[in-house]
Amino acid sequence: MSSATLQAPEVPQRKSSGPAARSRRSGARGRQTAAAWILTLPFVVLFLAFTAGPVLGSLGMSFTDLKQRDLRTPFAVNGVGFSNYVKALQDETFRKAALNTAYFVLVGVPLTLALALAAAVLLDRGVKRFQSLFKVAYYLPVITSIVAIAVIWRFVLAPESGLLNTVLSWVGIDGPNWLASKTWAMPSLIMMAVWRNFGSAMIIFLAGLQGIPATVEEAGQLDGAGSWQRFRYLIVPLLRPTILFTSVTTGIGYLQFFEEPFVMTQGGPLNSTVSVSMYTYQQFGFGNYGVATAMSYILFVVIAVITFIQFRLLREK
Amino acid sequence: MFTHTTRRRLVIGGAALTATALALTGCGRSADSGDSAPKATTSIGDGPATGELSVWAMGTEGENLPKLTAAFEQANPGVKVKVTPIPWDAAHSKFTTAITAQTVPDAAMVGTTWMGEFADLDALDPTPASIDTSGFFEGANETTKVGETSYGVPWYVETRLVYYRKDLAAKAGITTPPTDWDGLKAMAKAMKEKAGAKYGINLQPGGTGSWQTVMPFAWSAGAAITGDDQKEFTFDTPEMQEGLKYYQSFFTDKLAGTDLPPNQTEAQFVSGQVPMFISGPWMAGSVAKLGGEKIKPNIGVFQLPKNKTATSFVGGSNFVVFKNSKNKDSAWKLVKWLSDAKTQAQWFKLSTDLPAVKSAWEDPSIASDPLLPVFGKQLEDAKAPPAIVNWEQVATAFDAEVEKMAKSGQSPADTAKAIQTKAASIGTGS
Repeated sequence: MSSATLQAPEVPQRKSSGPAARSRRSGARGRQTAAAWILTLPFVVLFLAFTAGPVLGSLGMSFTDLKQRDLRTPFAVNGVGFSNYVKALQDETFRKAALNTAYFVLVGVPLTLALALAAAVLLDRGVKRFQSLFKVAYYLPVITSIVAIAVIWRFVLAPESGLLNTVLSWVGIDGPNWLASKTWAMPSLIMMAVWRNFGSAMIIFLAGLQGIPATVEEAGQLDGAGSWQRFRYLIVPLLRPTILFTSVTTGIGYLQFFEEPFVMTQGGPLNSTVSVSMYTYQQFGFGNYGVATAMSYILFVVIAVITFIQFRLLREK
Repeated sequence: MFTHTTRRRLVIGGAALTATALALTGCGRSADSGDSAPKATTSIGDGPATGELSVWAMGTEGENLPKLTAAFEQANPGVKVKVTPIPWDAAHSKFTTAITAQTVPDAAMVGTTWMGEFADLDALDPTPASIDTSGFFEGANETTKVGETSYGVPWYVETRLVYYRKDLAAKAGITTPPTDWDGLKAMAKAMKEKAGAKYGINLQPGGTGSWQTVMPFAWSAGAAITGDDQKEFTFDTPEMQEGLKYYQSFFTDKLAGTDLPPNQTEAQFVSGQVPMFISGPWMAGSVAKLGGEKIKPNIGVFQLPKNKTATSFVGGSNFVVFKNSKNKDSAWKLVKWLSDAKTQAQWFKLSTDLPAVKSAWEDPSIASDPLLPVFGKQLEDAKAPPAIVNWEQVATAFDAEVEKMAKSGQSPADTAKAIQTKAASIGTGS
């Protein structure tokens, strides 16, 4: 960004040549460089102090036995090598949390993307008239506070009088006690998360769809391709960068799955909905900073690897 | 999708805390972790309190306390008390952050189970000898002690009783409340079979805070959380197993349910679905609020049933003075005034928090209440967990194992063993 703005004024000077012009130009560039540094300095300082510093600090923390009581004398703590990482990986609940998170991601991400894409296609092709209204309606859960959403979903998922079980009873199904059941608690949270998050992926898909020129589809139509074929062999390949973007951002968000179990189930019943982020948060609360930061970095590495794989699979060929 | 911000904040927050702590305190682990019990350094002077006092209090206490401290300011014209109300769910982290950054108030209300942790952080001032603690309930007094040293005074207390529907008990043929374990079981059974209840009694099937209902049964059977020196956990004992076994039997006999939605205790009590539960004094109010005038005469309470003892849980809050306070003398004067029987009775009228001082219970506002004197009697036999630094963490492990026992049939012996193993690996933290 900054280098682009720096080079922009050079363009008209291109034509001029000769030593005088050259030296004038490098002097101007020096001043511009200095100005750029001065102008970016506040950001650089803030970045170092509040992003890079703490991140490196927490990485260091993950190799120590730092506990809450040591916070007043943090340089006197002992290095413990990788033992926090070992402890985290041996922790039964942490492993359960990792499995739960994998479950959530593997089911939740495809569902979210499929729903988002379907909604985007419908909005782009079908409902032209009320498009803005539907866009707002689908996006609304994304911007609504999780606490308000939790209250509503508790009504939906309530065992006897809940909306979902009432609807199920109309077709003769005796619905479970969603949030209190070991089997159904996680699907309930996935349902809620998909409903809550598909709107933002949908907006991005919609932008991607609207960026595809109508002529592409017309050409496909002339070649005799049916609507599913056009979608499968024209639209989806052209949407590849958009799909990459949404799957990466949704994937990262879902790997850090925290709020739904935190407000709805507190990880229960029987740890069936505890997530890695939530368990890490709990360890911070107990003052086990070493183990908690180690857990954070395990999650970080997993996210980095998965994102790398996604880029590999979905990049433009 | 936006959860990453939350987590990032946590990681960065943790590190920023470290950086702040570094900047504020310099480095080097302090060498004052000696074994000798700290002695009180403050003695309270005779004159009136002076200067400015900052006080933190949580929840409704934080909102109501200024009304009380206004009277303190009138009696001590030179003093100015500033109360900062803090929401309960943010309180613990606010305290630990303030302790680390040394920006603590002069005095504060502190949850009883936090005492060990805060004392371990070397934040609390030992109670001056001139404060007489003999008038407090013994169980409440114990919550101020960490090791041999007392930090602060009990401010208000609560304990747990068995609530029951009088009308439904009559229908079930029970005229006098039970006094022993078999009696309680028989009553729950009668409620279910004769009074048309879905379950006889509402017991928490594990989950946050369930240890507060389970431990009284274990205590009553003679169990203890730690040995006398508070260094080793003693969860895996026959007494603990007996308590767990009794608790589990309510679930295996279908007298208590694992499938009830949480936070519906009042509603199920009012509807008669589950006409008994074990809880603290605030429940009388919230049941009456939900059920209206019709339910009021039908709310009954009785003391926990007896095995070896009939021990209940004692909770509440203490009032402490911080070591870093600049105005300790006046802060302790405020604390002393708050623990005076007259002030405590007045505070009950403002807040309905039960007094920690026994003599305050003679005030007619409490003595003439149909339910409250029973709580007073139960307080004579009520316990709190020892002030262990890592208690919150041990309690979480305890709750998780109780959940396995209630919901998936883990045996009481395995449960006791699992709690012991987990607690031992967490450690007492001292």
